[in-house]
Amino acid sequence: MNSAQTRRRPMTGGGLSRPRSSSLRTRILGSAWTYRLLVLVVLGGAWEIAARAAKLLLVPTFSGTIGGVIELIGDPKVWGAFFISNQALVIGFALAVVLGITLGLALARFRQIEGFVDPYLNILLVTPMAALIPILLMSLGIGLASRVFLVVVFAIPVIIINSRAGVRQVDPALIEMATSFGADERQVWRKILLPGALPAIMTGVRLGLGRGVTGMVIIELLMVAVGIGGLILNFQGRFEANLLYGLVILIVMEALVLVSAVRAVERRLAPWASQTVLRD
Amino acid sequence: MIEISGLAKTFPARGKDAPVDALKDVNLTINDGEFLTILGPSGCGKTTLLRMIAGLIPWDEGEITIDGRPIVGPGPERAMVFQSFALMPWSTILDNVAFGLELRGVSKAKRHARAAELIDLVGLTGFEGRLPGELSGGMQQRVGLARALAVDPQILLMDEPFGALDEQTRRLLQEELLQIWELSRKTVIFITHSMEEAVLLGDRVALMGPRPGRIVDITDVPLPRPRASAVDAIEGSEEFAKITANLWRQLREMQMFRRHAAEGRHSSSEPAA
Repeated sequence: MNSAQTRRRPMTGGGLSRPRSSSLRTRILGSAWTYRLLVLVVLGGAWEIAARAAKLLLVPTFSGTIGGVIELIGDPKVWGAFFISNQALVIGFALAVVLGITLGLALARFRQIEGFVDPYLNILLVTPMAALIPILLMSLGIGLASRVFLVVVFAIPVIIINSRAGVRQVDPALIEMATSFGADERQVWRKILLPGALPAIMTGVRLGLGRGVTGMVIIELLMVAVGIGGLILNFQGRFEANLLYGLVILIVMEALVLVSAVRAVERRLAPWASQTVLRD
Repeated sequence: MIEISGLAKTFPARGKDAPVDALKDVNLTINDGEFLTILGPSGCGKTTLLRMIAGLIPWDEGEITIDGRPIVGPGPERAMVFQSFALMPWSTILDNVAFGLELRGVSKAKRHARAAELIDLVGLTGFEGRLPGELSGGMQQRVGLARALAVDPQILLMDEPFGALDEQTRRLLQEELLQIWELSRKTVIFITHSMEEAVLLGDRVALMGPRPGRIVDITDVPLPRPRASAVDAIEGSEEFAKITANLWRQLREMQMFRRHAAEGRHSSSEPAA
């Protein structure tokens, strides 16, 4: 805290004190967060008013929902549920990343195979994966295996497709450049194609994570009533609408944290990517 | 010495388009230490020719040899500078310049030391840690030039290296290239579509024509060297004007011929339509 203050001081130019308050005001008025917060307040207010007016059993008030979130955070049962659900997410997502990137790169490398596989990959991308759940349970049972498998199936198509597209969109001039300096194929992959594809691969991983979270919750809701999904069904059965909504908010919060973590890794690994985007 | 004899390449028919004779019976000898510029309208196959010399694309007939050895692919005695700069956006300037050496397995300390020398030569000292995206076009092409020079090639292949730059930057880089070249006297093959650039830089100008791509004429440029310090005087000289005018006359004929050919085709197809 202290060091942050001393670091900031030279930037605001501590000499004159008058511009300070106005700069604070412009900072507040200029910040997107001010308006985001405003949107939240407006929407929350509207929700509160509408819910109080409607008095429906399954529509909690905004304040009730926030109360629900706080209640849930204090409940060890909730943490247990998140732990169980996330087992499937962690294992499934890790598998999806490893397999998806490998497959995507292989498809980019072997163009002949790609022609045959392409239509099926596109089908995979548009298939409503939830429809596979009953079949999945018949073959893998209701254990962790099915849940892991579903996370993989949800997350993997977008990772494959982005990895492949990433390799494909690498500037051919760079490949030619490396070749002209005597690079063999292995060097072209290591020095040009992989780094060039990295931003797209990371985008795929980020999108795959979001889909993985969806997969994790969906199978628990539809078939295997454990973890977070089980908790949702539980609250639903007891008409505890505020807790139900609160739980959904917690899931969203987890997803946001995970996605920003991936984004941080992305910026770390491919800092030039955001720059290229800006320039275009 | 680079010897090109009977070089021909036909791009196969694609869909409705007839096959294109990209190059036909190209013969050319480039002496050691010579600065040869290749001038021609777009689509005359000059870049194709350069990429063949670089060993990047195959040809159908003929032969290219360097000191008697036929070219079968890229080699350490050649290095290329690209019109699009072709810098790796994820690597620092230092690593971009050192890239050719890295591919050849030179140790990190050695290649960085060598890269730093060349960065200094092209006047980019202080930018070693920057990424290419942070540099202007002219600076990026300086990096491209430094990268090619870093591997100490015998032959420098330059594919319209200043074609993507604005006029002022282009003139500055022309002077700098002359300066660097007049110190090292490597063999240079320089592609351009600018007559002034071809004459200012080259010992000889090879004029190429389209369809089929071929060498139409080779002009000696007897302007004195070193030229780097006397660019203005050279460009103002009678000799320079004479050579440029002569090249323009030939280029214009080519364009006129092309237009006539196009119109001829057009009018002959009219009655049928």
